[in-house]
Amino acid sequence: MSWIMTRRYAWPILVALVIFVGLNAAASPAFTDSGNWNGMLIGAAPFIITAMAQTAVVMSGDGGVDLSVGPLAGLVNAFIVSVLVPHGWTDPFSIVGASLLVGVASGLLNGIMVAVVRVQPIIATLGTYLAYQGITLEMLPMAGGEAPNWLVSLANSRGGVPGVLVLIVALGIAWLAFERTAFRRNLLAVGGDARAAYASGVNVAAARIIAYVIGGILAATAGLVFTAALGSGDPRVGVPYTLSSIAAVALGGVALSGGRGGMLGSAAAGALLFLIQTLFTLAQVSIFYIQIMYGVILFVALTLNAAGERARRGRMALEAE
Amino acid sequence: MSLQAAKDRLGERRPHAALGRPLLEAKNLRCTFGETIALDSCSVSVVPGEIHAVVGENGSGKSTLIKILSGIVNAESGTLEWNSEPFRASSPRAAQAAGIATVFQETLILPEMSVRDNVMLGLDGVVRRKTSPAREGELVRESLAIVGMVRLDIDKPAGALSLANRQLVGVARSLLRPWRLLILDESTSAIDIEDRDRLFEALRNFRREGRSILFVSHRMDEIDSLADRATVLRSGRSVVTLEHGFISSETLLELMSSRERSRTEKGARAHQNLGARVEPLVTIRGLSVRKGRPSFDFDLYAGEIVGVGGLEGHGQVAFLECVAGSRRPSEGAVYARDALIRSARDAARAKIAFLPRDRKTEGILAPLSILDNVTISALNDLARWGVLRWGHRNQLADQVCRDMKVKMADLKSPIASLSGGNQQKALLGRLIATKPRVLVLNDPMRGVDLGAKAELYEVLVNLAASGVAILLLSTELIELCILCDRVAVFHDHAISAVIERDSLDERTLIDAMFAHRKSAMDADEAAR
Repeated sequence: MSWIMTRRYAWPILVALVIFVGLNAAASPAFTDSGNWNGMLIGAAPFIITAMAQTAVVMSGDGGVDLSVGPLAGLVNAFIVSVLVPHGWTDPFSIVGASLLVGVASGLLNGIMVAVVRVQPIIATLGTYLAYQGITLEMLPMAGGEAPNWLVSLANSRGGVPGVLVLIVALGIAWLAFERTAFRRNLLAVGGDARAAYASGVNVAAARIIAYVIGGILAATAGLVFTAALGSGDPRVGVPYTLSSIAAVALGGVALSGGRGGMLGSAAAGALLFLIQTLFTLAQVSIFYIQIMYGVILFVALTLNAAGERARRGRMALEAE
Repeated sequence: MSLQAAKDRLGERRPHAALGRPLLEAKNLRCTFGETIALDSCSVSVVPGEIHAVVGENGSGKSTLIKILSGIVNAESGTLEWNSEPFRASSPRAAQAAGIATVFQETLILPEMSVRDNVMLGLDGVVRRKTSPAREGELVRESLAIVGMVRLDIDKPAGALSLANRQLVGVARSLLRPWRLLILDESTSAIDIEDRDRLFEALRNFRREGRSILFVSHRMDEIDSLADRATVLRSGRSVVTLEHGFISSETLLELMSSRERSRTEKGARAHQNLGARVEPLVTIRGLSVRKGRPSFDFDLYAGEIVGVGGLEGHGQVAFLECVAGSRRPSEGAVYARDALIRSARDAARAKIAFLPRDRKTEGILAPLSILDNVTISALNDLARWGVLRWGHRNQLADQVCRDMKVKMADLKSPIASLSGGNQQKALLGRLIATKPRVLVLNDPMRGVDLGAKAELYEVLVNLAASGVAILLLSTELIELCILCDRVAVFHDHAISAVIERDSLDERTLIDAMFAHRKSAMDADEAAR
């Protein structure tokens, strides 16, 4: 359990997650029925994966945020059903490869704009946010199209193991492996104090660009999940996940100023956002109240996040004197 | 020894021929920031196996020189040769790759990251690790051992260390790089004497291996015990390079100080006002700026200039902030006459005006005009029934700018168009416009050219003569010496000495600043 001991930032969100799993289970006996798990995970996966996509970007600091996460996931979904499939590229290699390439390209675009051209992240990624929405609607004006069978079947449960769970675990393992490289240290340093990192010889621009590329790859993965889950395309499916991903990052204990946090926290927070939704649906609360609830939770989370950050900064400043 | 005598004797020795081909040769480096000339024409050469000191007053260009050599800023003109080949450090990474490792003046430590990560930072690629985690721990421990940090848990966050130990971590970080030239920019200011001596011993060993060290220091004993040669900078120019036997504090002080400065000094001294201490404007009782550090009392009287000195980060800034109401003391209280000062509002009501240190981020409102900048704090007094009286406002701004001798085209021009010195005068004018009884100034002469400095000195002396009490933090010893009626010296978050005018000189200040070094270290050791 040492991996959980060294990730203190994620403790509050993990506790909250356990509580909401309990509340959901108490509210509905069906929640604990293993037959529902697959559907539940398919619902939760976009929240979790887009939250993970947002994480590295926010951690890179200097106002790092990627607004294009949601639209990019939607774009990949539309790209698969309206470009790849009609052209006959239906094999797993083409579809996964092309989708991830789109993610990498988007990450490079955002990253270079932010780290090299030095456009404010919120402005740079607002640009790509709008552009991706437009491109998506151009490729797929309305819901439709068809996903290849192999992709749809991935969304099913096999031998009781939901396909999406395999994916999320695989992403987690991939990130853990990546964390063992020098990148995590560089990312935390760049996000924590870019000047100190630069003066120590860290390639600050490259570290930031890689953070955006990781975001792009994960957002594209979320697009694959949409396609598998829907079995078709929908130009409006991705966009809302931008805001939920930012909410999840804040809830997940990642410092919005950069330099602190990790994917575990935001992934858990993404799952939590989904569980809140299911709980309210079970309680037959109107969708509007769910929105209000999201607002309140985000507000509280951000306040706690800011207060915690201030307290830590204060302690550090005191130490530093 | 006079300058001429020193130069004559140098001529006889021909040091360069004796020392062999230089490792680093910088010629006529020039670097400007806006209107400020940071470095005018600076030449320095370092040969293999020497320890070379760079000395000069604040603002003489030492830090800029270091930044050029380590790839933080680019020189506008001049040449750099490394190993007799043209060289340009385009980034810190490039400088490190060439073999130049720098420990900067600021402690660039990431407090939330572990000591290990802090030491290793920048050695790997962006993704690729160049050393295995196991080997990494060994390397980090070895490097820390050189600076005397043994038995340290390298996986603990670096923020938990004392300032001195964080500086040592910074040194360990640089030592780990494959360097041929190590640059230390006053990076040992907070380090305990024992640790410093250990570090110096290590530096001498490096010298024996044929590696070179370039270090910036204000302390004569350091230069004396370490340096083979010393290059003196003055107003952005390298004046001379002295051989070991020719380095003495008198020579250095004489070479460092310019003629303009001695004129400034005389002016300020002539104005000196030794007001009788009759009416305390600010009374400080049982104040402690940091938990667990001793508390102290202090009184600030009308008409005096009290200096605040100490090594960087020994609590003097916190003290100023407490007096200005922008920080709550950890114990004790500050009173202006009888009013308790607990907030910036209280301070403003008691007519205490505060000039923060960083002009750019805490001082000027860059997009606004000089007029706006000067009058912004006095708007309440300028308004009648909540409506601003424009005529009065212009008058006040005009008056203040004239008093402060702000050189400007027009009150309406943006403040950013002024030179640094004039911006500072305008900011001081903003404080004066509120008719303060007490001025709390955090290093107001920092980055101000000499001419403007002389004018600022005069303004401060005149203000004091008119009955304003001034609390002046300065990082320049000479400034404290020439301007202040007495100086409160901070060490480890408490006043360690108050030096009265008749015994005030740079020597006494330095002694007071470095006093009781040992005790702080022990406390830190115990905390671990």
